[in-house]
Amino acid sequence: MADRPRPPISRRRLLQASALAVPSAWVLSSCARAQPLGSPAPAASAGGGSASAAASLPPLTEIPIASPQNPVKWPINPGNEPIASGLEPEMNATLRVYNYPDYVYKRVLKDFQEEYADYNVKVELSTFNDLPEALTKIRSGSVPFDVGFLTYNYMGKLVYGDLIRPLNHDYLPNINDVWEEFQNPFYDQGWQYTVPYTIYTTGIGWRHDLIPEDISARPNPFDVFWDAKYAGAIAVLDDDREVIAMTILRNGGTDVNSGDPSVLGQTRDSMLEMLAVSKPRVTITGYTDIPEGTMSLSQCWSGDMITGQYYLPEGVDVSLLRYWSPPTGQAVIGNDFLCVLKGGENPVMAHHFLNYMLKNDVSMKNFGFVGYQPPLRSLTPESMVTDGYIPANLAAAIVKPEWFQVGYPLLELPVAVEAEYQAIWQQFKSGA
Amino acid sequence: MPDRTSRFIWPVLGLPGMVWIALFFLVPLYVVFCVTFGTVDPIFRSPVPAWNPMEWQFEQVAVVWDRLVGPNNFYLPPVLRTLLYVVVAVVACMIIAFPVAYFTARYAGRHRALILALLVAPFWISYMMRMLAWINLLQPDGLVNFIITLGGIIPLEVNWLSGNPFTVVMGLIYGYVPYMLLPLFAALDRISPSLIEAGRDLGASGFELFRRVILPMSVPGVVAGTLLIALPMMGDYFTSDMLSKSPSTSMIGNLINLSIATPGQSGQAGALLILVLLVLLAPMIWYTRSNMKSEVRS
Repeated sequence: MADRPRPPISRRRLLQASALAVPSAWVLSSCARAQPLGSPAPAASAGGGSASAAASLPPLTEIPIASPQNPVKWPINPGNEPIASGLEPEMNATLRVYNYPDYVYKRVLKDFQEEYADYNVKVELSTFNDLPEALTKIRSGSVPFDVGFLTYNYMGKLVYGDLIRPLNHDYLPNINDVWEEFQNPFYDQGWQYTVPYTIYTTGIGWRHDLIPEDISARPNPFDVFWDAKYAGAIAVLDDDREVIAMTILRNGGTDVNSGDPSVLGQTRDSMLEMLAVSKPRVTITGYTDIPEGTMSLSQCWSGDMITGQYYLPEGVDVSLLRYWSPPTGQAVIGNDFLCVLKGGENPVMAHHFLNYMLKNDVSMKNFGFVGYQPPLRSLTPESMVTDGYIPANLAAAIVKPEWFQVGYPLLELPVAVEAEYQAIWQQFKSGA
Repeated sequence: MPDRTSRFIWPVLGLPGMVWIALFFLVPLYVVFCVTFGTVDPIFRSPVPAWNPMEWQFEQVAVVWDRLVGPNNFYLPPVLRTLLYVVVAVVACMIIAFPVAYFTARYAGRHRALILALLVAPFWISYMMRMLAWINLLQPDGLVNFIITLGGIIPLEVNWLSGNPFTVVMGLIYGYVPYMLLPLFAALDRISPSLIEAGRDLGASGFELFRRVILPMSVPGVVAGTLLIALPMMGDYFTSDMLSKSPSTSMIGNLINLSIATPGQSGQAGALLILVLLVLLAPMIWYTRSNMKSEVRS
């Protein structure tokens, strides 16, 4: 039979075909998880413990937002009690660690395997690009992650989503090696769920040969992002909270978590002005772009510039790198933490891993690779320079303990305020 | 009997393809609709799809519509920018690809297979790798600047990677030109040499021959090539992300990507996606209909 062109589909046939969509919808509907609106999905609980917290959650409005003025001691949900003391680590465990890319030294993970060789542990590192992505994957339960490297402005979601396991402090004696601030942090009073990992400020990094001006000598160094002289040569972080906070600080504000419509309106206008004047790029790769000279100056985290020394091209001296953040410590300041995820299958080994990461020499070795400072008692600003971790010209990137009393942490936001922030960011990134 | 066999054999052979399309196109498309018209988890801000069309809500579409045509229409600049970039890139691809395809079809002779292989050679390397290569070439001290400044003799400083729209359009052209070449080649290759000879015999000059014989007969290839590159370019976000990273060159694809990555905004991403789909559906339908008509005519 010869091929011949078919007549176009009739409207009746189209309607018949559309009718098939109804059973398809029903199939999809039945495949979906029963997930009542207003309550989070119960997390997978591969490591034991019932996922009963969803039932005991308070309404959304009651979930507290932790801040230095409002420290929060999170509840421990029934069925999610800490593991018992004195348990042996799991044998033949595959410890699944979930982290940003390049944010832990792989040698350190190998060392852990060697230290626990008797238990035949294998550490498997998976990475995420941002925390929403991480949270989605952790919630899905598709991979039973044991340990997470996360940030405190997601604490409420982690606890109330029943995604995180409370710690048994008996397994974590090395906590004594870290600053006192982190033995009772505002975001986790009594360090029930977390141990600190790294600390940082947000500031400005640049290469002195490409930007000969002493940015730190300006009355308001943040003005550099509104300076047409540097159009096309500068960048801001690809992070809505960081750019909005920097703009608020530049405009003289101090509440970097503000929900005040007038502050947010002014911030949006300033960001659009920045876009028109200096045409910044938006990226988180300043730690390679600045050393390599692709970019001259960027908003960046303190650890980025310390890491940057390892990305310098041959012949470019480390003394050319610069970093500035408010020297009084009144900068955007923060820390990341380690936690044991509830979906993990090896909670005891995960506790041992946390304790291992807190160990002084391990922490120092890791610092030497990631460039982000751990809050160790043994580290002083002087020793970091004299021991060669940080060159003297980047001493401004060293975070001091007292700065956590005066700095501005980026906190979890109420949903409506978060939506406002997102709208500002979308307008900025659309280049409108 | 042979007729009966062939009556069933083709539908049976076509079945896996139809199932494939249903599974990997229609079902995901329906999921996009369910996410777009669904709700958001109040704590995690993740999408809660509404599988039942009777429960669909249209707030997110209204938000996107307002940002497109409302008083604060900040989605409009990237939309217009995308259209401009795509038009310029398609025209440039055409100008670059047409002579190459014509040469290959008519004059390459026994080297035709080799030339064709070279034309599709870029497909052997991933798009990301090719863009990363361009980043190296376009660095302030990269090879491109070295050449245009004649090794630094001419005092000219061009920062190609500083949010330069020219770089993004060049990236699009570079990335998509092979997709224009192949349909053009196929169309030009089908033109019978006797038609061209007849045109010459009737006194047509070289330009007239091109205008009155070659160009009209290559229209199906031009249309196919244009659609083949314009459609993915409309949703492209990677080129701008890699070669610019600047909001001043954001395209629709970048907006969709940002919305997907932002908690609570999957619905807006879906609404933008549907918008792009609707815009692209019109030329697709037109192309399909014109193809069907020409098949019926032939």
